Amino acid sequence: MRPPTDAADVVLACGEVRTGLLPSFQPLDSRAAAHLLQLRADERVRVSERPQLYALSPDTLTGVDCRLPAVDGAKVRVVGTVAARAVLTEGRVLQATAYFGAPASGPDRRQPWGHYLVRPGLLEPFGKLPEQAVAKGVLRGPQKGDLDLGLIAEGLLGQLRRHPLLDQNAPFKSAGTRLRWVARRAPDGEGPSITRFTLAEDQLRTVELRIPAAQEASAVAGLCEDLALHDWLLTTVVRMLDTSRLGAVGGAAAVLALRPAVDHLLHLWMPTARVDRTLSPLWEVLEREPGFSRQWQTSVQRIRDQLALQAIPLLREALASR
Amino acid sequence: MTEHVFRETTAEPSTRSVPLSHLSLELGHLYMEDIEGGSERLRQHFERVQPWVDAARADAAVGIRGRSPRISTCFLIDDYFTRFSSPAELVPLVLGEAARAGLVVDYLARESGCAVADKVPLAESIAQRLVESPPPGSYGLRPPVRETGWLANGERVQSSRASRAMTTAAEWRPPRETAARRHSIYLDVELWDHDKDGRRTWSCPFLASVWQLARLGLLRNEGEPVLSPRPWNSGTFPREWDDMPPLLQLNTAAAPFSAYRTCSVLPARFLPVEHAVRVVLDQTDVDSGALRQITERSRREGASVPDAVADRVAYVFYRGL
Repeated sequence: MRPPTDAADVVLACGEVRTGLLPSFQPLDSRAAAHLLQLRADERVRVSERPQLYALSPDTLTGVDCRLPAVDGAKVRVVGTVAARAVLTEGRVLQATAYFGAPASGPDRRQPWGHYLVRPGLLEPFGKLPEQAVAKGVLRGPQKGDLDLGLIAEGLLGQLRRHPLLDQNAPFKSAGTRLRWVARRAPDGEGPSITRFTLAEDQLRTVELRIPAAQEASAVAGLCEDLALHDWLLTTVVRMLDTSRLGAVGGAAAVLALRPAVDHLLHLWMPTARVDRTLSPLWEVLEREPGFSRQWQTSVQRIRDQLALQAIPLLREALASR
Repeated sequence: MTEHVFRETTAEPSTRSVPLSHLSLELGHLYMEDIEGGSERLRQHFERVQPWVDAARADAAVGIRGRSPRISTCFLIDDYFTRFSSPAELVPLVLGEAARAGLVVDYLARESGCAVADKVPLAESIAQRLVESPPPGSYGLRPPVRETGWLANGERVQSSRASRAMTTAAEWRPPRETAARRHSIYLDVELWDHDKDGRRTWSCPFLASVWQLARLGLLRNEGEPVLSPRPWNSGTFPREWDDMPPLLQLNTAAAPFSAYRTCSVLPARFLPVEHAVRVVLDQTDVDSGALRQITERSRREGASVPDAVADRVAYVFYRGL
């Protein structure tokens, strides 16, 4: 008999990450971060301080019995639990992920609930799982009555944002992003690969992956949280540069618009700091095309140049007053 | 994979294991009403329990390849809902009547220890681990057990709809047990209420569920065992319940307190409580580290446990006194 949850049985893992700024004027230190993410009184929040402050909540489960989103008229009912967890990076960026894994097939009848609870984060299909149709369906998003990963992730994010620890006073305006991911099992003997990263409208990103058997869905969730974090950073900084209307406004306004980036964001860029070693090569692919770090470096340089330019008149003033 | 060079202990989850018997055998629950009947009532209780204890021991030996099973016995005293007598008076009485029936109580627990033990709020922790069994059509809306304090084995009638529906019998919609076999046996369990000062009082079935999880070795606090037995070698007991540890080991030679399976020998009137316990256990997401350790160890020992936690629990309900 196999253990109840065996990663090798999972042929498809899917998730959705919601990423946004923590509504707090000051970033949280490690103790406060652990307090915020204490979703269960008896389970420790995992906190690490190198190379940057990172706190990961325990998983919480939501029971579901519904259809999975699917294209091409495929219909599949699943029963089980969706796992959800939250991550806080440098006490500043808050993320919530809802994710599940699914085996290729399951029993035709619903089992006693205890059967599903000892397989956390696993959704068992009635009959065969139409993998491809479901993978596409999840990326497209749910129709009425379909499993809604976004709802679960947003529910957790909302719950954390309302935490009494937070003063609801974010230091600057920003928009949240949604990243949906699907990971199908890679053919035997092949390593992990990233087949597509799409920037869709309305702050939505989609990622398609191929993952070797035995890779835990939680590790894939970790990779996608890292992708979502850096995509959000890039999106937010690029938008800041756009709205600061460099050159068109007076110097002081540009400084005000760009300063939050320096205060709160520039030190957060650290791709694959937390990603499972076997999955971190996937970042390299995105570095080649579209070149996340290249665009980030360029943006950072523009911000620094701008702030340096604004400093020149001040310097001149200071020299003149000698 | 190669070892990581840099490690941070606060970033790594760990779960400490607990020693395990094959069977945790409960010789009874003691409530106020039982003690009002005096030692006679206790004597009758243990006389009824005794034959079933022998049966449970024989049953535990089945399926472990002829070795003798490790079995520990326990007894629970309610000091949570009503405080009566004192450990100094009551405990020797219980142990004496048990001994008269030829029974040895290895471990003795106080029910309030299932609410809070050694400053760890066990009941609160378990309440946060409830994951409701979703009725068909549940696609991700968070169920409200945490707000309501009620946990059902199916779909209840929505209150607003119910009040409207009551006006005409034709519109009445019954509740439905999710795992029903054609006909429902619907049960809705109150897990807690509040006293007039707003303090939460846990219900008897909910504390009994925590008690079962303790006996199944599935309770942890941040990976550390909780409600661990404390040796008690003295024949005298404190005058105050609060001065007594929540779980005592009275028999130094006893097998471990926690076990792969539990069996409780109780009067038949406990059946509704234990039905409710099953509903709770069936919807509790227990510590995954502890669960994994038990699955692996029981398999190595050739004493595999059922996947579902609720199926590790058995009862004997003896005829009423």
